[in-house]
Amino acid sequence: MTQPNRLNSGGRIDRDQPMQFEFNGRRYSGFQGDTLASAMLANGVDLVGRSFKYGRRRGIVAAGAEEPNAILQLGATEATQVPNVRATQQELFDGLVAQPTSGWPSLNTDALGMVGKVFGSLLPPGFYYKTFMFPRFGWKLYEKYIRKAAGFGRSPRAEDVDQYDHLNQHADVLIVGAGAAGLAAALSAARSGARVILADEQSEMGGSLLHSRDLMGGKPATQWVADTLAELAGRDNVLLLPRSTVNGYHDHNFLTIHERRTDHIADRAPEGMSRQRLHRVRARWVVLATGAHERPLVFANNDLPGCMLASAVSTYLNRYAVAPGNKLVLMTANDYAYRTAFDWQDAGRDVVAIVDSRADVSGHYQEEAKRRGIAVLLGHGVIEARGSKKVTGAVVASLNADGSAVAGASRTLSCDLIASSGGWSPVVHLSAHTGSRPVWNDDVLGFVPGETLQQMKTAGAVKGSYDLVACLRDGAEQGAEAAKLAGFDATPATTPEVDSWPEAKAMALYSIPHTQPNSRAPKQFVDLQNDVTAAAIELATREGFESIEHVKRYTAMGFGTDQGKLGNINGMAIAAKSLGQSIPDTGTTIFRPNYTPVTFGAVVGRHCGELFEPERYTAMHDWHVQHGAEFENVGQWKRPWYYPKAGETMQQALDRECLATRESIGILDASTLGKIDIQGKDAREFIGRIYTNAWAKLAVGKCRYGLMCHEDGMVFDDGVTSCLGENHFLMTTTTGGAAGVLEWLELYHQTEWPELEVFMNTVTDHWATMTIAGPNARKLLAELCDDIDLDKDSFKFMDWRQGTVAGVPARVFRISFTGELSYEINVQANYGLHVWEKLFEHGEKYNLTPYGTESMHILRAEKGFIIAGQDTDGSVHPYDLNHGWAVKEDKPFSFIGKRGMKREDCVREGRKQLVGLKTKDPKVVLPEGAQAVDDPKQPLPMAMLGHVTSSYYSANLGRSIAMGLIKDGLNRNGDTIYYPLSNGQVVEAEICSTIFLDPKGDRQNV
Amino acid sequence: MSDTFTAVMDQLPTADVLARSPLYQHSALRGDGLQLQENALATQLVIRGNTDDASFVQGVAKATGLALPGNLQSEANNDWRLRWIAPDEWLLTGPANAAFTMETALRENLSGHYAVINVSGGQTLVRLSGANARAVLMKSCPYDVHDRNFPAGKVVSTVFAKSQAIISRLGDDEWELVVRRSFADYIWRWLVDAGQEFGLSEHA
Repeated sequence: MTQPNRLNSGGRIDRDQPMQFEFNGRRYSGFQGDTLASAMLANGVDLVGRSFKYGRRRGIVAAGAEEPNAILQLGATEATQVPNVRATQQELFDGLVAQPTSGWPSLNTDALGMVGKVFGSLLPPGFYYKTFMFPRFGWKLYEKYIRKAAGFGRSPRAEDVDQYDHLNQHADVLIVGAGAAGLAAALSAARSGARVILADEQSEMGGSLLHSRDLMGGKPATQWVADTLAELAGRDNVLLLPRSTVNGYHDHNFLTIHERRTDHIADRAPEGMSRQRLHRVRARWVVLATGAHERPLVFANNDLPGCMLASAVSTYLNRYAVAPGNKLVLMTANDYAYRTAFDWQDAGRDVVAIVDSRADVSGHYQEEAKRRGIAVLLGHGVIEARGSKKVTGAVVASLNADGSAVAGASRTLSCDLIASSGGWSPVVHLSAHTGSRPVWNDDVLGFVPGETLQQMKTAGAVKGSYDLVACLRDGAEQGAEAAKLAGFDATPATTPEVDSWPEAKAMALYSIPHTQPNSRAPKQFVDLQNDVTAAAIELATREGFESIEHVKRYTAMGFGTDQGKLGNINGMAIAAKSLGQSIPDTGTTIFRPNYTPVTFGAVVGRHCGELFEPERYTAMHDWHVQHGAEFENVGQWKRPWYYPKAGETMQQALDRECLATRESIGILDASTLGKIDIQGKDAREFIGRIYTNAWAKLAVGKCRYGLMCHEDGMVFDDGVTSCLGENHFLMTTTTGGAAGVLEWLELYHQTEWPELEVFMNTVTDHWATMTIAGPNARKLLAELCDDIDLDKDSFKFMDWRQGTVAGVPARVFRISFTGELSYEINVQANYGLHVWEKLFEHGEKYNLTPYGTESMHILRAEKGFIIAGQDTDGSVHPYDLNHGWAVKEDKPFSFIGKRGMKREDCVREGRKQLVGLKTKDPKVVLPEGAQAVDDPKQPLPMAMLGHVTSSYYSANLGRSIAMGLIKDGLNRNGDTIYYPLSNGQVVEAEICSTIFLDPKGDRQNV
Repeated sequence: MSDTFTAVMDQLPTADVLARSPLYQHSALRGDGLQLQENALATQLVIRGNTDDASFVQGVAKATGLALPGNLQSEANNDWRLRWIAPDEWLLTGPANAAFTMETALRENLSGHYAVINVSGGQTLVRLSGANARAVLMKSCPYDVHDRNFPAGKVVSTVFAKSQAIISRLGDDEWELVVRRSFADYIWRWLVDAGQEFGLSEHA
């Protein structure tokens, strides 16, 4: 396989390491050191995609992140698909498979060209806006075609087989970009001893020095790069990150770096290595040495394959030994780009002409061109590219003095490559991420970083300093300054001298006029990726879109992966001209992270699969798993939901669990309930201020239920708190509320009542808690515990005792969430599983039945016990819950929520109140959330009374039961109400007491 | 109950009772420059108090033999390690089965406003060692674990993956995490995953 455009010598490729790759189903070869783009160009691949809107043929334009056309789909298998890969940034590896991402029905047929011609008229500037607005149904018709034709890649349909991870980094000085300025900055900072990270998006560090033919200190620039990198790599305070794009500059000098660790090796990452890594860097100081992107000039048909950036042509020649053509026409508005013509000629290719828009310029570069015998057309521009599939000619004409109009006759030069340079645009993206608006600089003819908002320095071309010597010096100084500010003794590194010619002043030129007005001339593309033309921008301004942000959204200029890298400045210049104002008055759009696309894998890191979210386990978790529990997520806890036996439905399992508990004995793992140890002489007073009820007289050995309200008087948590000692309490909270309650206690203690001597600590995880409930609970406990007097008159309901259960010291609380005789056994969690298993050894004869959270919910609902967060929603106060008995109004100090629940709205008539509900048909279980009405036949919208908060089928009662909020419900006992459901069914129900079973509480007091 | 004010409880069972630490199902792992193991069933006591109170400072020193460490520091002798957690909070860890003895000793030497809480069942110690331990920590937490910022003896309570941990550096390549019982499985899985790169696996 030959590579027609490959030079025989030179470049930084290894001709001894050939590599095979596939693009669009065809096989090609390249070399180690190639990018996918350079290898494609070496093989003469002119066509890489079809344009988004018009379906036009597109080729490679650039050599870096700014490439707008060669956006490819990578991956040899479905599981390794990566969309949005810029061929210019993808290193070649053996076996690489790439597909074009745009172009339907296929890249090489011109069908899309035809479709595009028809289709283009459907997609005028502002088509998003217009198609959404009129006709309203239009979007549905267009969308599937637009998506199919326009996509820049597709999502993989198989799970990614590679891993991605995150690494947290810290640096005294983070330097972004390892070109001349960045390397010099790194030298200064590294020598000071500061912790330095140097990140660069390319495979090799060195930036433009890698294709420069300048001599630095008498040696090739690449030699200086190698020496500098060798020194940096030898220091243990320096981390070099090649293939690492600094994609986001966030608040507090937090930056994210996307490192492609193995994308250059193979389709899949090697075993045990993450494919990509997101470095999360906190840097004391940042030096941005991000360089500049060359601006193309805008002219008619400038999107034909064969139109490229001048510097990209030099890069392909010098770094990759690829000449993408034979006959070059170079158009420029500055001296620097002359180098490309010289490089081209030195590669043995033909320079047809240098077309320079400046009429009056003479200096070293022009003299060198003359010496080389290269024709220079001063005061000229390429007004149009000619060719059908690729460039075959350049139409040139003389321009007037400011380049705004064609001044003379045009003629066509035969060529196959048109390189253009309109100057350079500093890469201000990262600076803009910090919220800083770039500012226009007339000397630079570009936007440079504006106000500095974070601990950041800039060096080199990013601030419009393009001279190599100046870049090196600036880098050395800024690197030293950043290290100094980070607290290190730093001096600027000495930088080599460079022999370079002075450059004449560049001309401010962005688009080349045509003999016809822009609206009639062949399309002049400003943003190649989004198919935005000069005429479209002018149309946008004519239609009244004067702000550049509106122009952007109207035309889609700078959208997508491009983010305006190539076209934005030209577009702004065209908009400014059309609006009759200056570029600074027109301003820029805002650049946002990410600078280039980041894979979802890198964003997610290892937080996926079983590591997606923490799973909290109790000490008895393994038992639950072994016994077939289905689990419910409660916060991050995995709680047993129910324990189905073979062949059981969920409802059958629940019925069995609930019946067994009330008939004999059930057991619940209650370890997840929040437990807070409260110690101190003011503990009792503190608890009294937090809870709504009375705590002054709770004796040691006693337990009490309490409600917790926020300042507004609304219930947010509840639980039982036990008096362990005069100055020592154990508070329990809901499972989900545990952390929030502890924070609430700390908040009040630290900000409102610091004078109270009290310490709160979580002991949730320390105690394993198992609740045995049912008529046989005492019998079972007695078999395992001989040091607590379990007699009903000595160990009463709402008492706690310390003793030994199954050989393990325990606190046993006689409290009940089921209404049954119930003991909550607490042992240190390391012994929890032992006690749990012993209970089952002895409990078998009582049919000891484990029950999960669902049966717990049913059993408590039978007794009308509320669940904070289910029967309350932040708008329910204790009186709404009919829990006035749990509010003590006359506490000496008051309590949180006391005033809140006395507000006018809280004491008015007609508030929603918690009531019991019995459906007329006992088999019908109301859906939770269903809304009640008095008259189901009333017209819509109906007057709603409130919703069902809890609803179950109760096997013990042989019917459905429910609780719900009903307006004025506590005064409506016995009323019939209706629940119209979404399926048209209307459920009739009667308002009743929330206590469905054992209203006197005999069962729990036995 | 030792007195009517505070309920101090010897929580140790009879000898025949099998204790299961939070990570009892996971054995020690070894990789290239990386070892991971649980230091199971250690005694863990939270001590709360005010350093302006000289009797508190002296009482802790007398009971533990360790001076109260300052911010982000720890003090250790052969058996016990005392970690600063917060301005009024320390964590004392030591040999298994010693919680009651130590809590009693502390209470005998302390007076006024203080608290001692036995949390031995609620958290566990995970030892992470080897030259690559630091890299595993960098994958797991945003705190700077570089030598210059995290010398031996330092203690930090911080975010760990999507949970939390108290991280102590015991030596050059010796780190210890205190993790909550209920999160221990998640954190162990996270560490094993992070150690994959270094070939972490059960050693023969």
